Amino acid sequence: MSFVIIAGITFPIVPTPLYWYEFPNIPGLEEKAKIIFFHVPTAWISVIAFLMAMIYGVKYLKNKNLDDDAKSASALQLGMIFCILATVTGSIWAKFTWGAFWHWDPRETSIFILLLIYGSLLALRSAIENEDKRARLSAVYSIIAFLTVPFFIFIMPRIMTGLHPGSANDDNAGPIVDFKMNANMMLIFYLSLIAFTILYFWIWKIRYKTIIIDEKIHKNN
Amino acid sequence: MESGLIHFLEKNSIYIVMFIVLVVWIGIFIFIWNTDKKLKEIEKELKEK
Repeated sequence: MSFVIIAGITFPIVPTPLYWYEFPNIPGLEEKAKIIFFHVPTAWISVIAFLMAMIYGVKYLKNKNLDDDAKSASALQLGMIFCILATVTGSIWAKFTWGAFWHWDPRETSIFILLLIYGSLLALRSAIENEDKRARLSAVYSIIAFLTVPFFIFIMPRIMTGLHPGSANDDNAGPIVDFKMNANMMLIFYLSLIAFTILYFWIWKIRYKTIIIDEKIHKNN
Repeated sequence: MESGLIHFLEKNSIYIVMFIVLVVWIGIFIFIWNTDKKLKEIEKELKEK
């Protein structure tokens, strides 16, 4: 992670990279292209977290084990945090690339809808006192909510015209990750995805263990 | 002052990237801090028992 941060910030962007530590210049983005090492992994983690919330929701419905609900809840909380971070970092980037913090671009609209969907789920969880009822409703909601994720993250922003790289009218004819990065930039990008994924699993584990211990203590009281 | 800062960031876009990294770490820090707070509460309850 430290290497990704140092490399992502300090490696220079040059018109024609000659050395292993140089990144290619992407017209219109220049230094701002480096956001890809930090913004994309946050969106990636939120998708993984929502997927895991769904998987543990299914597990809960199958085994009725409250530990699975704790794992699902922990993934939901982390997914929400990373979804907010993806929105905020994207919005800062938009201000300096497109001129304003928010444009209702298809990508911005889709992440806003996802925030509403999962925000409602967290609100629902906090409104129910009964553990079993809360776990059951949350499991069903997280399964239904995840069905919308591929559409809002991977399909809608790519079939509609918009400002975000990878939109239907993108002159680059595809997501920016496919061809404009050189091998060196790709390596840092994938290292960043791996590092953020490891960080996610580490925090998720600590969080769900905390929830499980907390529930057990309150049950014994 | 605000337009001066935006103008500075527009001219030195590497600071935008650094600011974005800072935002990501603040978010992660808040989440870990919140988890630590919960753990401290659990510790306190266990000690009281």
